[in-house]
Amino acid sequence: MDNQFIGEHLLPGQIGQLFVVVSFVASLFSCFSYFNAARSEKDLANSRTWTIFGRVGFGLHAASVMGIFGALYYVIANHLFEYHYAWEHSSFAMPGKYLLSCFWEGQQGSFMLWSFWHCVLGLIVMRTSGKLETRVMAIIALVEVCIASMLLGIYFSNAVKVGVTPFDLLRHAMQNAPIFSQPNYMNFIKDGNGLNVLLQNYWMVIHPPILFLGFATTLIPFAYVVAALWKGEYEEFSRPALMWGLFNGAVLGTGIMMGGAWAYESLNFGGYWAWDPVENASLVPWLTLMAAIHTLLEYRSTGRALPATLLLFLLTHLLVWYSTFLTRTGVLGNTSVHAFTGDGTAMFYHLLSVIGILLVPAAALWIWRSRSMPKIKSEEALLSREFWMFVGAVVLFISATHITIMTSIPVWSPLAKWMTGKDVSLIDPMSHYNNVEVWIAVLIGVLAGSSLFLKYRDTDAKTIAKQLAWPALVALGVTVLIAVFQKIEKGQYVLMLFSAVYAMTASVFHVVGPQKMKFSKAGASIAHLGFGMVLLGILLSSYNKRVLSNNTSGMVLPFNKKTEEENIKESMENIILYKGRPDTMGEYLVTYTGDSTENGKDLRVYYLVNFERSDAKSNTKEHFTLYPDAFINPKGMQGLSANPSTKHYWDRDIFTFINAVQNNKDADTATFRSQTVSNQGDTVFLEDGFMLFNGFSKVAKNDPRFHIDDSDLGVTASLAVFDHTGSFVKDVNPVYLLKNRKSVENVEDTVGGMSLHVKFNLKVLSGDKAEAQVMFKESRDNLSYIVLKVLVFPFINVLWAGVIMMVFGFFVSIGNRLKLKA
Amino acid sequence: MKKTHIILLVLVVVGISAIASTFVDFSTYETFASAAAKPGKKFQVYGFVQKDLEMKYDPTQDPNHFFFYAKDKAGNVKEVVLNDAKPRDIEKSEWIVMTGYEQNGVFYCSRVNMKCPSKYKKEMVTAGKG
Repeated sequence: MDNQFIGEHLLPGQIGQLFVVVSFVASLFSCFSYFNAARSEKDLANSRTWTIFGRVGFGLHAASVMGIFGALYYVIANHLFEYHYAWEHSSFAMPGKYLLSCFWEGQQGSFMLWSFWHCVLGLIVMRTSGKLETRVMAIIALVEVCIASMLLGIYFSNAVKVGVTPFDLLRHAMQNAPIFSQPNYMNFIKDGNGLNVLLQNYWMVIHPPILFLGFATTLIPFAYVVAALWKGEYEEFSRPALMWGLFNGAVLGTGIMMGGAWAYESLNFGGYWAWDPVENASLVPWLTLMAAIHTLLEYRSTGRALPATLLLFLLTHLLVWYSTFLTRTGVLGNTSVHAFTGDGTAMFYHLLSVIGILLVPAAALWIWRSRSMPKIKSEEALLSREFWMFVGAVVLFISATHITIMTSIPVWSPLAKWMTGKDVSLIDPMSHYNNVEVWIAVLIGVLAGSSLFLKYRDTDAKTIAKQLAWPALVALGVTVLIAVFQKIEKGQYVLMLFSAVYAMTASVFHVVGPQKMKFSKAGASIAHLGFGMVLLGILLSSYNKRVLSNNTSGMVLPFNKKTEEENIKESMENIILYKGRPDTMGEYLVTYTGDSTENGKDLRVYYLVNFERSDAKSNTKEHFTLYPDAFINPKGMQGLSANPSTKHYWDRDIFTFINAVQNNKDADTATFRSQTVSNQGDTVFLEDGFMLFNGFSKVAKNDPRFHIDDSDLGVTASLAVFDHTGSFVKDVNPVYLLKNRKSVENVEDTVGGMSLHVKFNLKVLSGDKAEAQVMFKESRDNLSYIVLKVLVFPFINVLWAGVIMMVFGFFVSIGNRLKLKA
Repeated sequence: MKKTHIILLVLVVVGISAIASTFVDFSTYETFASAAAKPGKKFQVYGFVQKDLEMKYDPTQDPNHFFFYAKDKAGNVKEVVLNDAKPRDIEKSEWIVMTGYEQNGVFYCSRVNMKCPSKYKKEMVTAGKG
């Protein structure tokens, strides 16, 4: 019944599918062999043979995964749209630099990327794990079996299928479409669907590989922990688990914040963090990982906290799978701005089974072994590092639990509905998470600073009090300064400010004092300093985030002391800018001057927005242009899809994005009409409304619309504008300037909403009497405009610098420990 | 009981009660009728954009004013005002969640969450035409 189709390239897909099958079978073989090798450890010769089988199997698996990548790359790069994946995620118009982004836009590509990193890490572990190789690699191979099965694409029936292959044909994926009954259907498929415009951003090229390396690395400590539990041997695992854990912390942390940077640079929800489920799902494993690293350090120094350490490392990897489950199956539904679409029920049960396969044995092993785990009977001293480190781990764990419960609302709300009959949701997620997590930040900041100074086992109370006094005093002073100058007033946020600053000062004091500036040992202090900076950067940039396009300053972070009505009235965040007509925003005079397109393929339109700032006296102090851009009517969408543009300063960012545009080819044809007024109360009639003259006044010196020197004369006319219903709109203040007492300059004022422009000429009559010839035009219909949002993020660079510092600290730590072994 | 355990226990209890106390942040999806019963109070209303009725966004009048009609799950249609630009693709939404308050017969909202049809379905439509 198969028709013959013309113009298809089936070979790359067949080769690719072969690699898919081989990668699955090879990982299964490797897992089986390593498992046998681990079981027969006593019988050296036998175990050796199985180990070699396991290595060959894993090598073959890794090679096949590269093969899948190669084949899919060929399909996408050559625009073979007979393949569903290429058709869905790429198009001719897509710039070549985003070729890689196509891989991870789709479900299968993400699994391939994940699998790729597991292979790379697995090959490293194979060579470095020594005696533990068989057990560790058996676990890694098992997880690879799970991921490889995701790509299989075996259909038992329409309802039951295992995995989705990236080499599925378009005519296969859409069997019901009539076009595929024609053998020459390829002639009709001219172009692919294209890459989601939101992903056409350089961050999307580098962020997913780093994030997935972070996710993938959680497998390695997990495998080492299972290896330890397997035979009840708790010595060898701890060093490699720590090293991989530190590496993991650095990479996953970088990946998460790169995701934030992507959101900041290319999404228009106006920030780097929105407590979005997808963000939360990547943050939670990092939190449990941090807890795990710290309890592991405690275990290595004192022998305590072994059960917690093992549990936390197991949990970290399982949470990565859970986050995959949340973000890839569509259970989150509407609660996420990240547009992953669910691949139906098959994926749902597939991921659920994988979690079961990993969770059940891991949990059973841990419970079974927990009685026989070595424990220390005595009690920790109150002033010992291990005690407070453990407290810190508990706080991190509580935070992870909170975020997980709240993010999982869509998962458990059906149960709640069944019990109570009501739908459950968070009414205001941002402020909910902020209000809870601020307390976690306060505790962790103080612990991160103080615990550095504590010694294992016991610390002399007087010494520690003396050591902590200075950093605490300095932090207090800095906190007061920042709180005053940045106007941070809310109690818990002042506490968070202190806690962040204290973590920083304590870290610096620790390096200078007890560590005597020894760089190689400063890993922990550097990482804690970075963490303090991250907290500080988050606080400063969000607490005082301002909406410039609103011309009012104030907190936008929802702290919720006001009624909803007040909130809504204050958050008029969009402003309309007519082409060539300046408007003031804060200290800037902002003009939309035009738009431009990149020639050729790129479909985005760049809007030129000029910002100009002048000082009180005369000259322009600063001038820059931002280019927020938008795809107008991108494929399958109405309206526009916008990308922000940001001006970076050392101490703040000015962030703009477009919300609507109107592009009229016609020139501004409206002409000025004029009418003379002289007495207060004189009326000027408009097309839809009127203006009342309120008299003249002296010119304000620091108006951004113009410059005035001492030799200039200037007069402001004050007019109140009313609309056709007779209600007051706003005051306009056009200015009449006599430059050097010679040349005249008429400075306009505008009413954006009525597109009214007003200027005037001054006529001095006898004595001190004067009259104004008011010139005005209303030109609503034929002007191009953009609707713009402009936000200011103060001190956001502290956040980015903090992330870099923290990651640097992790690597210093790893470097130091590598040296210790040698 | 060890004193360290007591401190940990206190921490856990405080943590759990803090989280539990935030359950007041929860809301359930309401209807326009229950929002109208308490004007000015913040509600989340689940509903559907009325695509055949008027929908208005004119930035030249007010760039922070998007007007449309929505029907809640009880079947009542109401005028809704969002104080922001018109959300992209709202015409295509399957359903929406409006967060805001009721006043003088109008539902004013600060946020609208939309459920859009999955990409896959959309492709089926285009492919069918081709």
